[in-house]
Amino acid sequence: MSRELIVEASEVTLAYRRTRHRVSSLKQTAIDTIKKRMAFEEFFALNGVTFDVARGETLSIIGRNGAGKSTLLKVVARVLPPTNGRIIVRGHVAPMIELGAGFNPELTAAENIVMYGTLLGRSPKEMRGRIEAIADWAGLTEHLDVPIRAYSSGMTARLAFATATDVTPDLLLIDEVLSVGDADFREKSAARTVEMMNSGCAVVLVSHDLDTVKEISTRVVYLSGGIAKQSGDPTDVVEAYLADVHH
Amino acid sequence: MQVYDSSARQIPVISQVKSIYDNRGLLRLLVVRDLTVRYKRSVIGVWWSLLNPLFTTAVMFYVFNTVFKSKLPDGAPFLPYLLSGVLLITLFNQGLTMGADAIATGAGVLTKVYVRPEIFAASASISSSINFIIGLAPLTVVLAIYRKTPTWHFPMVLLVILCMTLFTTGLSLLLSIAYINFDDSRSLINIFLTALQYMTPIFYPITVLGPHTKEVIQLNPLYSYLQIFRKEFGRVGVSTFSNWEMMVISSIIAFVGGFYIFSKRWPKLVAKL
Repeated sequence: MSRELIVEASEVTLAYRRTRHRVSSLKQTAIDTIKKRMAFEEFFALNGVTFDVARGETLSIIGRNGAGKSTLLKVVARVLPPTNGRIIVRGHVAPMIELGAGFNPELTAAENIVMYGTLLGRSPKEMRGRIEAIADWAGLTEHLDVPIRAYSSGMTARLAFATATDVTPDLLLIDEVLSVGDADFREKSAARTVEMMNSGCAVVLVSHDLDTVKEISTRVVYLSGGIAKQSGDPTDVVEAYLADVHH
Repeated sequence: MQVYDSSARQIPVISQVKSIYDNRGLLRLLVVRDLTVRYKRSVIGVWWSLLNPLFTTAVMFYVFNTVFKSKLPDGAPFLPYLLSGVLLITLFNQGLTMGADAIATGAGVLTKVYVRPEIFAASASISSSINFIIGLAPLTVVLAIYRKTPTWHFPMVLLVILCMTLFTTGLSLLLSIAYINFDDSRSLINIFLTALQYMTPIFYPITVLGPHTKEVIQLNPLYSYLQIFRKEFGRVGVSTFSNWEMMVISSIIAFVGGFYIFSKRWPKLVAKL
């Protein structure tokens, strides 16, 4: 059976020109320009990263803090356009990155479900039909007409998770393994995540939990300083990463 | 199936306008959200957003009434003349700064989820327009006090609102670039906006100005928007064909220019958010 590619990244590069002093004020920029002190340096957040992910596969990205893991995930999520190279993503993407980022505390839970789902690329009409089911799954049916500023952070997280995972996407993006709400709900959300991963969608996962990475990944990319230092078989790549860390 | 290809060629402006159109469901939700948060959830509701322009008008009326009341064109009464000006400049300021703020703060989502940022600029301009239309109610009351009724030219007023929406959407995209690049640009922009307000004949008639000043003021596009609005809504001003030219052309230039420059800058900007 041939692999149905969902993500194709070739030589993805993200370079910024930033000023050496990291100035961000107009005053400082004006002074530096007059004194001809504007020194720029090229900074590579990602440098020539190539990989692909097919339906049913799970690709994990590992590496130290600041290696470019989250940046790479944002490139796949279409938030950051690469400055060089090319990325192709096919189908509906569910980015589980900082869940609930689109929530407005003044709106009710029902209104937020519709807004968040629409931000994630579904239609408002479709979302209105899903309010009940989503609230039911999150266990928040009784609080649907309450502005979510009255919600606890656990309740908000449950609502966000339930909304984001309401539809099985073609590509699931996960930044760190999720821990949402109380123990019961954590179990429930973990089960749903696994169910989605097994349902035949492609998964790109960023994680520090190397045991989980070895267990669930089909392939692993080890990023270091924006460069894919090694990629391939999970056990091999994780070993290589651990060897580097212990050095 | 939707396919994202980072190398696909995008035609600036056209592709951005198309994506706003494709996401009109989200656009409508954002407008409704702005209005809901502002009106439904506050105790005095609609009056809250009118309080600022009405209070400003009251103070200005108290201070400047005796100076300008006999100097207006065609003997127009001062109060509706003034209120028209305050409402229109509020529309401009609100659309401009709300849109730029929404993008500069990432609207909470621009760095997490793929959404075209232009939608936030458009929704801010549209909800400001709706506030403006609500503000026409007290203006109608004020006109009635002076035995004037709104004219039959209301479609013309809608045209002013449409041009203003395009104008502020384009400009707020440019403003958001400044906001993101420079932390101190906000205070500078506020100085500029204050200057622009004084350069718009909100509370004074342009006829009292010296010939040279008058020429400079006429270069301010807001002057033309205001002249047309005053004439077409309450007959408390005069407008010429060149005002119409200025209004239409400035809105198109701001819109196309703003979208074009923004599309070129955004890939670098989003990394800074």
